[in-house]
Amino acid sequence: MEKTLTIENKTGLHARPASMFVQTANKFKAKIKLTAKGKTVDAKSILMIMSLGLQQGTDVTISADGEDAQAALDALTDLVKSKFGED
Amino acid sequence: MSSKLRGKGVIAGIAIAKALTLEQDLEKYVALYNPGSVEAEIGKVKKAIGEVADILAENVKTLTDKDMAEQAGIMEAHRVMVQDPMLEDNAVAKAGELKSAPRAVLAASEESAAIFENMEDSYFRERAVDIRDVGKRVVRQILGLKGPDIGSEPVILCGHEIEPSVIANIPTEQIAGVVLGQGSTTCHAVIIAKARAIPTVVGLEANLKDIKSGDQLIINGETGEVYVHPTEEQLISFNERIKEQNRLKEHYAQLTSLPAETTDGHKVMLVANISTHLDVEAAVSNFGAEGVGLFRSEFLFMGRNEAPDEEMQFQAYKEAVEKCKGNLCVIRTMDIGGDKPLPYLNIPKEENPFLGWRALRICLSRRDIFMPQVKAILRAGVYGKAAMMLPMVIRLSEVDKVKQIIEEAKVLLSQENKAYSDNVQLGIMVETPAAAVMTPIFAKHVDFFSIGTNDLIQYTLAVDRVNSNVSYLYDPLNPGVLALIKRTIDSANENKIWAGMCGEMASDPHAAVLLMAMGITELSMSAPSIPRVKELIRSVSMAEAKEVLDKVMSMEHASDIKAYLHEKFDDRK
Repeated sequence: MEKTLTIENKTGLHARPASMFVQTANKFKAKIKLTAKGKTVDAKSILMIMSLGLQQGTDVTISADGEDAQAALDALTDLVKSKFGED
Repeated sequence: MSSKLRGKGVIAGIAIAKALTLEQDLEKYVALYNPGSVEAEIGKVKKAIGEVADILAENVKTLTDKDMAEQAGIMEAHRVMVQDPMLEDNAVAKAGELKSAPRAVLAASEESAAIFENMEDSYFRERAVDIRDVGKRVVRQILGLKGPDIGSEPVILCGHEIEPSVIANIPTEQIAGVVLGQGSTTCHAVIIAKARAIPTVVGLEANLKDIKSGDQLIINGETGEVYVHPTEEQLISFNERIKEQNRLKEHYAQLTSLPAETTDGHKVMLVANISTHLDVEAAVSNFGAEGVGLFRSEFLFMGRNEAPDEEMQFQAYKEAVEKCKGNLCVIRTMDIGGDKPLPYLNIPKEENPFLGWRALRICLSRRDIFMPQVKAILRAGVYGKAAMMLPMVIRLSEVDKVKQIIEEAKVLLSQENKAYSDNVQLGIMVETPAAAVMTPIFAKHVDFFSIGTNDLIQYTLAVDRVNSNVSYLYDPLNPGVLALIKRTIDSANENKIWAGMCGEMASDPHAAVLLMAMGITELSMSAPSIPRVKELIRSVSMAEAKEVLDKVMSMEHASDIKAYLHEKFDDRK
């Protein structure tokens, strides 16, 4: 299952938000992938996520596969929608 | 044999200790390594990664307990990186190819580092160093190599570059000093040394090879001098200076919390000149600075391939403003010219960089560079009291243009839903004779003046003080210079705005008394100079200072003024 969202926080997926994203992803067993700018990467790798250089306004698709896929997708969606706690 | 090397002093202080060189030839050990089966090598990669992650987690915890947040943050980032599946998967795949665990890890970290090195954003580019550092740590773990062997005596760490993790893992009391071959003053190792106030010299380049582990060294973090195998006399003399350093430190510590107030109750604000936001904390808590009078923002612009973006500048200014704890933080807009060319400024070769396209002149024609800075300063104003200070102003239209840009910046910030302050003061540096003469005009259009004496003296007297044939003419007490300074302060007071000074003259206690008598509000200087100035101010009365000033203003020779001030104040302590 997958979901497409827009990165809304101002700094984009800079180090801190990227590390929050990866930490959240790592709480789940499901295989989670993130697709943006035509590339798909492992959502549990901070290096791969940071290497996408995602900025505010970029659309990303999160896909999850596994028993807790739904929960993982929900948690990551909440995180992105909360703008990673930035105001 | 004794020898003297010279680098660039970046963190002041004297250290005397034995050298410990960190140039560990990892490649030599990797070449000698005897690999096992591919399965065994893969196992070693995984095991070493797990072990390094545990060690780093332990480091983070220790640093957090000690309240060393900055270093803990760097180590936490390393921990996340070492456990990254991209790094591990790649290293495991390469172990099959290269049939050697250490080579596989080095190749995998190099590949990741290369991706980051090619990214546009300089923040990400700088992470390449961290990734290589992490890779080397894992390799050392596989090879069973320990980090540097620190004995019980404090040492002076020497290396071309020192990995941030290495320096962060040695207790402060074990590091007497740091000597680097490379010349960057903003690398992670220097930032950590600065946070710990460890005397540091950088930029020794090839001369670094003259230092071997165990050599006795003296380093002077102010002048950049490094003595290898110093003579007995040098040791005695520098030991005396360390004692004097400690004695003064204790004496001045008692002054930290006292105001700079004359015996008859007149106060002057003593504030700090800083180069990075990391300098504020020490300036405030160790030297009693009541804010920042000059944040040299150009340091954010140096050593990079592109201008720093709004976000990065905002973070730096915000932290400086917050650390001023309600006192004013004056941020000077970029002050760079052809003498220190930056790749992204494209300054053509100039005959006379000091009379050329520099500072505000660049900012007003390069909106792409100036606008992010203006926005970042306005945003930082939300977190305390901030001021924007313009260098090299010579005519009013420059101030008008900046005001226009500030209004445009506010519109942009509103559109972007970013909070900004409407109360950021706008001031100019008075550092050209034209600005000083025109202060009665400028005073009606800005909130403050800050006299930049280094340039004001140079431009007024037409003297390059680095030129040894004419440097004797460079004199802050030249009556012509004093007249311009007095005019500036008078114009400010007549127009109910404030005047300060952020040149070196402000840190001379004798000059400080004169400036106070002229009616200056604020004196900004390198933080360690604050206690000396404060001590003299606290020993005089305003009435006496005014008498001295009257006498001085009637004198015709700088040499007479100097002699008179010495006679008047030398016995004060």
